[in-house]
Amino acid sequence: MNERQSPSDMPWRNGSEPFVRIVDVSRSYGPVVAVNNVSLDIYKGELFCLLGSSGCGKTTLLRMLAGLETVSSGRIEIDGQDMAGISPWDRPTNIMFQSYALFPHMNVERNIAYGLYRDGVPRTEVTDRVADMIKLVQLSGLERRKPDQLSGGQRQRVALARSLIKRPKLLLLDEPLAALDKKLREETQFELVNIQEKLGVTFVVVTHDQEEAMTLATRIGVMRNGVIEQIAEPREIYEYPLNRFVADFIGSVNMFEGVVSETDPDRTLIRCEDADMTITVSHGVSCSPNQRLWFALRPEKPEISRHRPDGVDNVVEGVVEEIAYRGNLSIFRVRLKTGKQIDLTRTNQERSAEEPITWDDPVFVSWDAASGVVLTS
Amino acid sequence: MTTAVGSFFLKHRRLLVIAVPMVWLLIFFLAPFLVVFKISFSEAAMARPPYLPLTSWEDGRLLITLNLGNYQFLLEDPLYLLSLISSVQIAAVSTIFALLIGYPMAWYIARSPSKRRNILLMLVILPFWTSFLLRVYAWIGILRSTGVINNTLLALGIIDEPLVMLQTNFAVYIGIVYTYLPFMILPLYANLSRLDPALLEAAADLGAKPATTFLTVILPMSLPGIIAGSMLVFIPAIGEFVIPALLGGPDTLMIGKILWTEFFNNRDWPVASAVAMVLLAIIVLPLVRFRRARG
Repeated sequence: MNERQSPSDMPWRNGSEPFVRIVDVSRSYGPVVAVNNVSLDIYKGELFCLLGSSGCGKTTLLRMLAGLETVSSGRIEIDGQDMAGISPWDRPTNIMFQSYALFPHMNVERNIAYGLYRDGVPRTEVTDRVADMIKLVQLSGLERRKPDQLSGGQRQRVALARSLIKRPKLLLLDEPLAALDKKLREETQFELVNIQEKLGVTFVVVTHDQEEAMTLATRIGVMRNGVIEQIAEPREIYEYPLNRFVADFIGSVNMFEGVVSETDPDRTLIRCEDADMTITVSHGVSCSPNQRLWFALRPEKPEISRHRPDGVDNVVEGVVEEIAYRGNLSIFRVRLKTGKQIDLTRTNQERSAEEPITWDDPVFVSWDAASGVVLTS
Repeated sequence: MTTAVGSFFLKHRRLLVIAVPMVWLLIFFLAPFLVVFKISFSEAAMARPPYLPLTSWEDGRLLITLNLGNYQFLLEDPLYLLSLISSVQIAAVSTIFALLIGYPMAWYIARSPSKRRNILLMLVILPFWTSFLLRVYAWIGILRSTGVINNTLLALGIIDEPLVMLQTNFAVYIGIVYTYLPFMILPLYANLSRLDPALLEAAADLGAKPATTFLTVILPMSLPGIIAGSMLVFIPAIGEFVIPALLGGPDTLMIGKILWTEFFNNRDWPVASAVAMVLLAIIVLPLVRFRRARG
């Protein structure tokens, strides 16, 4: 998780003027509404991630910022300027395409220089700036190569350099790392953050990969069906999701469905039939009596033990059904008496345990009253 | 026996696949070429066939007579050089017009939704279903003094007397461009439809207005299509006979017409063969050089 900024430079917390304003923006293709009445503020220097599965409208929103897609209704402002009717070539934005869209008939140098020549930058200055950019993205020695002579990672860096060279006010990245393999993707994530900090450009990144969003973003906007479900910092979105969709989309989660049986300002009891238990939560819940709601518990929160633990708010009995050994951690799937499954993870801190919990062991799963989130939708 | 044959086929199956078109080309392309090449070195005669053999047998000696006079004749009579230059010029101008007309059409088809694209491609190919000769004849009806164009313009009062279009080089240009336009459009279409639209968006995003995007991205990337289409128009247009014969006038000099006259009117097969060889050299040599240059 990404916590490189102190609260003082988190402009969304202290009421600063937003840099990009998206106001009630919609985009429909005939009867299909791709983006539905989205409002969103993005602040200067942010690395904002739009997260969602394919077809949720995140790419359409990004393309509307670039001017490649028209806005059906609503308004987009960048740095105080209304973008309505402004062509892509006149916008202070640059986009990095998912396919990279490198010009195959030009070498690396000419690809990167393309935008500068379009602006009429003098040749000597172009040469200098391209050389600097090539150094920044570590492509030295490959200046004369054509895109088809480069590896995936190198092509990705050319695309990044090409979109950065004009020093856009806003850089838009459409699935910038999707075409890279896992190892390279992880390295490149940090590189991307470093470059963003070095240049101070505002980034908007579209991704379907929640881990990528968590690593990169200052804030994440989770999208579904053309609507933004939640906008928050990565930690908040993980620990305090607003609804079941967000809780389920970001990371994995155990969901308990139930009814509030008792609630006061610092304690709520939820009767949960599918686990045959009453879950204690350490805060009040505002809801109508007998309202159906959900308790979400991240798999790393509960403890697992052979003996019933004392003094813990929530304890439930079960049998270990599955263990997935992942090296750094193990995932346990515990089946309760009611048949409900709970997934939980344990970090493998010790190389060998005395008597490890194994398949078919009867166990107790327990968690603190402050561990989970109550969701009403 | 059968296994031996079987293993032979297995071993050489690649060769066998290639052999069919190879034999075809050998019989129907290379052999006639060699015959024409041979005739171009013989002497014309009032005989049947109308030329003398290259080899003769006299007193136990084999005599090979190579008559270079046909080629010399081509150089001496300016008619041949002039008609060659005129052919190249007519073919070149026609190719340029076919390109100027065909490129936007190919672009439009390539950018159409796939349903309409197939219909448009059908329309491009449709003329091939009618005889080429008929289609050129139809142009006579359109272009002549009492033709469709002149009648319309006269009726509208735009002109007072009919325009002379038929039997001019103008009519030849129209005929060639009309006939060979599909050969320009199809390779261009094949090229342009493969152009990734994201490249155009990338250019626009980096500050290129549409005209600049065309010059810096679309045009250079479609160069192979332009070259292929231009060759497919230029090469047959140089040797074209039917179109200048039907639509052109007495001043229209084209090497194809000369070739026809030499063969059928003058019955001078050797000179006609020499003309054919020169024409072939003019077309093939630049092609070979071009292929070399592209490596």
